[in-house]
Amino acid sequence: MSFEAEVISWLPQLRRYARALTGDRAWADDLVQDTAERALARWSAFRPNSNLRAWLLTILRHLYIDQLRGRREIAVDDESAPWRNLEAPHGEVDGLVLRDLQRALYCLPVEQREVLLLVCVEELSYQETSKALGVPIGTVMSRLSRAREHMRVLMTEGPLEGGAVGLARKVPPLKVVRNP
Amino acid sequence: MNNDHDSSLPEEPDLRALSAFVDGELPAGERAAIEAQLAQQPQAAARVAAWRAQKAALQALCGAPQRSERSESVGPSVGQSDADDEPAFIVVRRPTPWWQRVGLAACWLAAGAGIALALGPLAPRLTGGAWNGLGGQPPSFAERADIPYAVYTPERRHPVEVAANEEEHLINWLSKRLNRPLSVPSLQEYGYSLVGGRLLPGEAGPAAQFMYENTSGARLTLYITGIARDETAFRLFRDGNRRTFYWVSDRMGYALSGPISEDKLRSIAIEVCSALGGKPEAWQ
Repeated sequence: MSFEAEVISWLPQLRRYARALTGDRAWADDLVQDTAERALARWSAFRPNSNLRAWLLTILRHLYIDQLRGRREIAVDDESAPWRNLEAPHGEVDGLVLRDLQRALYCLPVEQREVLLLVCVEELSYQETSKALGVPIGTVMSRLSRAREHMRVLMTEGPLEGGAVGLARKVPPLKVVRNP
Repeated sequence: MNNDHDSSLPEEPDLRALSAFVDGELPAGERAAIEAQLAQQPQAAARVAAWRAQKAALQALCGAPQRSERSESVGPSVGQSDADDEPAFIVVRRPTPWWQRVGLAACWLAAGAGIALALGPLAPRLTGGAWNGLGGQPPSFAERADIPYAVYTPERRHPVEVAANEEEHLINWLSKRLNRPLSVPSLQEYGYSLVGGRLLPGEAGPAAQFMYENTSGARLTLYITGIARDETAFRLFRDGNRRTFYWVSDRMGYALSGPISEDKLRSIAIEVCSALGGKPEAWQ
């Protein structure tokens, strides 16, 4: 299979990861597009027998971190929060649980979210994850266990803030106020 | 063994190990050990169960293909595992060839240079003379030279890091750090002898400072640093009663600072410049 075809074959997975990471469809598609472009432009930097998927995920992650810096100042309020824009997932797992899960996922710091997604959703091995994130395996393991525990705690406390109760006493979103 | 310990205060397995257990990343021996622990520790077992559920839920949330379909969908099955309403393609823009980008950059550069040339003569008039071209402000290395001069010349006990009695070592050391052969010009004929030198942080790397002193205790410093810009100008920078003559020669910036009269300092600077391989004739 040609390099190009191989890159293309990973695009759906890249898109899935980008969506999960950003919680924003448009942003995710941009990220995947940028990743594909960069990968095809820099194919010579790819060592033939290494893991193409991990390499692509690394590129995507770098792009995401770069863009995140640019977007940091955008305040996330409850109206525009990622878990509101994504449609309620459907499937055998209860939709409400998934909504809580989604909410918890975007409460995690990026470092925890990305490791959780790479291992649980993309099913990368610890070795591949460590390569994609550029950190030692030990760091992957401790981040991952912290992420899981963090999620678990958020999920057990979740119902307090989520659902109808949360809506009733919703904190007003931050507003930008200019000095006259 | 330690049964009482186990029953009263069960020692929780390391969270990292539990997490690796969930992902099947443990070697067989450790896996068995964890399994045995889980059988005795309901709390740890509950945690593992919660994490497993979390993993499955995350896969459902993110639209990961379930185990059964995953085996078939390996390969170029673009868009298959994803939502049906999604377009299954991504438009990859052809990267601009490098020569086009270089060409575009060159055009902008030329345009910028043209504008600068056209407006350059107007600049002093526009700014009321406060900004008179590139030569108006001292290059930052000259200001940088002025600071250690002010800091170290009043110093009585530790004016230098390496004293003049180890001159050879001093020169070798600083030459090595600045990555080019340095030499220390003798200023004996002006009544100044070398005190020693020190290494300083410069603007773009290390810098060297040599200190001289005359019999009445007046001190001069010669500051040397690598510099990217090359120009041959020879200029004066004043701050209080200190004067600094500075010049650039062969990608090195030099600054001679001292509290003496401008004429005297100037003649010493010219001497130093020619001793260091510069061409002071150009300034006279």
